[in-house]
Amino acid sequence: MNSKNKKLVLHQMWTTKSAVLMIFMLFLSAGIFAQGKKQITGTVYDNTGNVLPGASIVEVGTKNGTTTDFDGKFSLQVAVGSAIEVSFIGATTQKVQITGTSSNLDVRLQNDGYALAEVQVVSVGYGKVKKSDLTGAISTVAGDDLVKGTISSTEQVLQGKVAGLNIIRPSGDPAAGATLRLRGGTSLTASNSPLIVVDGIAGVDINVVQPSDIKSVDVLKDASATAIYGSRGANGVIIITTKSGTKGVSVVYNGLSSIGYVTDNLDLLSANQWRGYMRETGNLDAVDYGGNTNWQKAIEQTAISQSHTLSINSGKADSGFRTSIGYLNNEGVIKKSGLERISGNVSAYQYLGDNKDVKFDMGLFANIDKWHPIDYRIFERAYNLNPTIPVYDANGNFTSVGGNIYENPVEILTNRTVDNKRHRLLGYFKTEVKFLNDFMVSANISLEHNAVKGSTYKPSYAVMEGRTEDGYAQKKYEEYTNAQGEIFVNYNKTLDKHVIGALAGYSYFENIYEGFGAQRSGFVTDAFGYNNLGAGYNYRLGDVYSYKGKSNLVSFFARANYSYDGKYLLTATVRRDGSSRFGENNKWGTFPSASAAWKISSEEFMDGTKGWLDNLKLRVGYGVTGNQDGIGEYKSLSILGVGNDSYYDPVTKTWSLAYSPKQNPNPDLKWESTEQVNIGIDFSLFNRITGSFEWYSKKTKDLLYTYEVPQPPYLVGNMLANVGEMSNKGVELTLNANIIKGDKFSWDANLTLGHNVQKIEKLSNPTYKTDVIYSGSLHGLAGMSGQYSQVIAEGYPVGTFWGYQSAGLGDDGKMLYYNAAGDKVLEGALVDADKRDLGNVQPDLTLGIGMNFKYGNFDLGISGYGMFGQKALNATNMMLNDPNRLPAFNVPDDFLNSGITSSPKYSSYWIEDASFFRLQTLSVGYTLPLKYKSKVRVYLMGENLFVLTNYKGVDPEIGLNAQDGINQTGVMDLTGLAAPGIDRYNNYPRPTTISVGLNFTLNN
Amino acid sequence: MKIKITAAILLSMLFTVSCTDLNEELYDRVEDGNFGNTPKEIDALVGGAYSSLRGFADGISNNYPTCEYVFFLNEVVSDEATIPTRGTNWYDGGQYQDAQKHTWKADNRMILSAWRYNYTGIAKINAIIYQIDKSSLTTQAKTPIYAELKAIRAYYYYNLLDMFGNVPIVTNFEDVDLPSNSTRKQVYDFVEKELLDAIPYLNSSVVYSKLTKNVAYSILARLYLNSEAFIGTPRWQDCIDMCQKVSGYTLTPDFFANFATENQTSSEIIFAIPYDSKAGTVGNYMSSMSCHYLHKLTLSPTGNYPWSANGMCAQPGVYSAFADTDKRKKCMVAGDQINLATGSVIIMDNGEPLTYTENLTSLTDAKENEGVRLGKYEMKAGENWERDHDFVLIRYAEILMMQAECYVRLGAPELARPFLQQITARAGEEMPTTIDLAFIDQELLKEFTFEGRRRTDNIRFGTFFDPWWEKGETEAYRAIFPIPTSVLTTNKNLKQNPGYPLN
Repeated sequence: MNSKNKKLVLHQMWTTKSAVLMIFMLFLSAGIFAQGKKQITGTVYDNTGNVLPGASIVEVGTKNGTTTDFDGKFSLQVAVGSAIEVSFIGATTQKVQITGTSSNLDVRLQNDGYALAEVQVVSVGYGKVKKSDLTGAISTVAGDDLVKGTISSTEQVLQGKVAGLNIIRPSGDPAAGATLRLRGGTSLTASNSPLIVVDGIAGVDINVVQPSDIKSVDVLKDASATAIYGSRGANGVIIITTKSGTKGVSVVYNGLSSIGYVTDNLDLLSANQWRGYMRETGNLDAVDYGGNTNWQKAIEQTAISQSHTLSINSGKADSGFRTSIGYLNNEGVIKKSGLERISGNVSAYQYLGDNKDVKFDMGLFANIDKWHPIDYRIFERAYNLNPTIPVYDANGNFTSVGGNIYENPVEILTNRTVDNKRHRLLGYFKTEVKFLNDFMVSANISLEHNAVKGSTYKPSYAVMEGRTEDGYAQKKYEEYTNAQGEIFVNYNKTLDKHVIGALAGYSYFENIYEGFGAQRSGFVTDAFGYNNLGAGYNYRLGDVYSYKGKSNLVSFFARANYSYDGKYLLTATVRRDGSSRFGENNKWGTFPSASAAWKISSEEFMDGTKGWLDNLKLRVGYGVTGNQDGIGEYKSLSILGVGNDSYYDPVTKTWSLAYSPKQNPNPDLKWESTEQVNIGIDFSLFNRITGSFEWYSKKTKDLLYTYEVPQPPYLVGNMLANVGEMSNKGVELTLNANIIKGDKFSWDANLTLGHNVQKIEKLSNPTYKTDVIYSGSLHGLAGMSGQYSQVIAEGYPVGTFWGYQSAGLGDDGKMLYYNAAGDKVLEGALVDADKRDLGNVQPDLTLGIGMNFKYGNFDLGISGYGMFGQKALNATNMMLNDPNRLPAFNVPDDFLNSGITSSPKYSSYWIEDASFFRLQTLSVGYTLPLKYKSKVRVYLMGENLFVLTNYKGVDPEIGLNAQDGINQTGVMDLTGLAAPGIDRYNNYPRPTTISVGLNFTLNN
Repeated sequence: MKIKITAAILLSMLFTVSCTDLNEELYDRVEDGNFGNTPKEIDALVGGAYSSLRGFADGISNNYPTCEYVFFLNEVVSDEATIPTRGTNWYDGGQYQDAQKHTWKADNRMILSAWRYNYTGIAKINAIIYQIDKSSLTTQAKTPIYAELKAIRAYYYYNLLDMFGNVPIVTNFEDVDLPSNSTRKQVYDFVEKELLDAIPYLNSSVVYSKLTKNVAYSILARLYLNSEAFIGTPRWQDCIDMCQKVSGYTLTPDFFANFATENQTSSEIIFAIPYDSKAGTVGNYMSSMSCHYLHKLTLSPTGNYPWSANGMCAQPGVYSAFADTDKRKKCMVAGDQINLATGSVIIMDNGEPLTYTENLTSLTDAKENEGVRLGKYEMKAGENWERDHDFVLIRYAEILMMQAECYVRLGAPELARPFLQQITARAGEEMPTTIDLAFIDQELLKEFTFEGRRRTDNIRFGTFFDPWWEKGETEAYRAIFPIPTSVLTTNKNLKQNPGYPLN
């Protein structure tokens, strides 16, 4: 150890002021005086700069050796003047001379084929495994391969990248999140999202991390992989590893400016078409307001967006830090909408000790979002309004024509003020200590905080909910805090050809949420906006509220790995979860799993295939996982609460609040459990193609749902309970190919394919009887109050459309239907028994595809995704093709020639094939190399350049959740039913975006 | 090496070892059993029994607060009101048309709503009784509370007796065994006994909106009035006797004082459901459901009146049944609707004037402006969507009419005259020379138009089963509604009412 390093150690000793560590260091210093020998440490990298775990380091001519750990690090005592040999399967072996001054070595091995892909380190939860040693179904996406562009929601980066993972964004609103569904989802409730783990911290908001800070994403798909996360693992686990200080110094800037515009609107009548139609039909009384307005265009704008991120990275042998800062201003293509975000990230790590036995690691992520939520009811208005109504009247005021669902949408957007702000924060501190050679104990503590502040003002002149209220102001605040502590011990031992690994740990997770809000109406002046609630004279019960709740989750977990000769691999895990949300009778659940893998290509009898088959591995896994998201706090208890149950006291002539029982208690409430079998094959061919194929079968029991229960005897007619069973079966294929690998020209391609079949197996048990659950509510659409479009029923997947089969239009334009006997009949002759399965919203095939070309300094990237075979109810079209609409309400151009004379009625006529393929991104770049490996890249990128589809609505990609549609039209879906695949006036158009970007990487 | 182990142990001490407590901590609500020990808490519990009378927004039957639907249902199956389909609007799966044509099926949502409204009210009261049972009150203090709660419960069971007949009787909150049907006679006896048992402990004074002795007498009078229809045994004299126990009320000189925004001051109202939008009450949507959406311009030049849904209206023949001199005729809005801002008739978007006509093209295809509207309750500019007037359930006029009807039915029509005279005098109508049941029937229609009780009168007078407007003859079994499909599905111990298909 030279004096410089010594000083550093001393410095650290004093700054940490830890007696324990000081003594520890003194022990280590003893090693310095060993005669002729010296301790060297180092890191082994592959040719792309990623660390290589499991590389072997041997002092030449001796048996003295070691292997690198998961961070690619090693330490070894060797004789001065000797040499070490660093080797790895698939890489060229390298020799390094040890001199008196060498202590910290960086060894970079050159790529020798496929194998380097196999040494990627994959996060498996509470530890890492080499890709080649995996026994479960896990897909990995490197940071460079994530989706690029103007991204306001971190989920988007995985779109089309992982076979079996569907990412559905309900709209093009930058403030809208995305829904993630892995392998079809396992639950009837809306909570089908995978568990998100960031740098080992489970259960966090994925948007706390910005795309540019992501180093890699591992998606744990099958139960043998996710069972280590127990009652939260059933929908898969997405593990995000963020960038941390790597060797060297670098400063990176990424900038992007873009223009987004709407390419697809509904073809509705223009004012002249409307007038022409009225003349032709002799409808001379129809009121013509004299204007000429395209109401869809009137609410749209060209969106100008920009994004900048800047990061500084510095890494040394035993420490590193990275900071980044980002700014995003993503305008929406609907006026006023958009998202502005400032984000920051700091991470640092420090090893202590010459053997790097102690590691401290910390990370801090923070961002602030600002946005102005728009009222989605504007879309229905834009479709409804007569095109002869001008946006502004002769005096320059907003035109306001009386009528239901007829308010001027531009007025709504303009006059209402909604300012929302969200803070997200995640901080963690991790400690790792190696002891007794083979053990490592890790302790993590973390805190996540998420807060939203909302402010709304509807002035007294606002047509919608402003005028009748005489001005309306609201402020609200909601927040949650997740605190988490974990401690676990890893044991790893290699004995000849036997490799043994073990893990045992404990985790405590606590969620506290709270919020408050206040609203007032009746303002003498609009001058205060939402800033002076006290000035409103109208006070109602419920105008002030606050709430708070808490839950916790306690877990014990363990894992054991065994492998023999790198050919036969076994993994077993178990987790025991206890949750405060579970009912009294089911507080604890146990989730086991086991899996095995066989590297067939390493067998001697496969020697004959070595020329073309580089790798062939068979994996088999089984596990039980849970889902507890469907259970809110306090759902198992018998609760008294205050609602708007006020009662009148005639003596005092005042109102007081009643306390009433709120729910049917369910002491048996528990997690949903999913059993899953997965069989996978990993392969690598011709040194160019790698891929995997997965087959899985999932069976979910104890489905959580708010089931209907008989009244009497129950207090209320529904109750959260564990009843049904559901199955999902499917196959997935992932392929990556280096089609051409030249120095000058290269061509990579990747493909993901997923196919899933879902079926509800059971909906009843001895206590709860359900024949069918009606879902896909059409409530709130004219003439369809209380009507449903879908069923949840045994033998069918979730989102099955159920209704009458259309037989097209009759000669008089009346809709005809097939009855059960197959005859064409009019609506009046239909009976319930004529209803049938009209298809479902589950895609048969999901596809993701990407290609990258490089020629010299030029690069070209292309990526797209598609979903095929799913049906969608085009309820927008159903409601617009209504003969009762004209002259007051606008209709589609097509309606005039359609001959339709009957009022809208739900049937297969309005169900369409919503298959599509979207060209997600197309980019062309040029890289200018600079000194010291610095470089500048400029690029041009198009997003959403085209969609191939036969779907007639604005966009075939339709949200999965009832909330996406129904809430936005202003009608609460009280049932909470998931209503996927219904296009209901909720088409915030997805913009087509053209951007120019600049990347600057400065290295020293 | 030991040092590293020490470090590991130190690290593990960052965590408290006893972190396995999974009890839920409550912050903004209370668990049952921790409530009902102070007089204030008792009041808050009992208050819940009254607030439940307003009904609730119901995700299962997917509708407006349910008391409206009990009201809608009883009106729409009667000869008084209708919800016609207007173009696209108000089709809603044909449920209103089915109700009107008396072809309703067991899955009709209005029927489910009526069931759920009453049984939710009952279950709530059972839960409150259970809470009070567990409270520290003395038995003596509990007795009058139980009496009041059980009397409200009997009101709900009276509704069920009237609408569904053979319903299960459930009184114990802790018993979650699936119940089976009681016979209509058993339900009848239960209602009678519960009310008679409660009466000695009920408040004897006139107390607005509370279930007092007077209210219990009135419900019993209704029970006896309809006894023949319910169980086949007429009890006209019992009805008269019960009516005569009601005391402390007079007719208000102005008929419409009972339906004003501040109707809680009426001397006539025996039982009502109080509403006050500032107190957060939800429901009471009769006014919101009837008028055309441009109707607001007739009330406020700036349109400062909530949107209305252009639905329910009077059946053809109801408006013209009133003499023009009848002051009660103003409970309906008819004719040209004048825009206060312009002084001329409101023009609808199709270019036609907004004129409410008595006749409708048809139940299945009515025009926007057709049908005379329900305007019984006060409508005025500046109102909110959530109305402030109290919803009247029983008023003194009904006590008078019940006695009159019973005397006519007992063959002593002249004894009915003094009661009827009070009613007609206020309305500005002449008394007929002979008083017969037909006159009583017409007077009930005019006095209680749109007060949610016409179905019961139609059944008692037998007119329910006759053809009218777009309805054919009705079979006798439809005098009660079927038990809702989803209730039968979830409780296999229940049997469908006779006459209705099993599924």
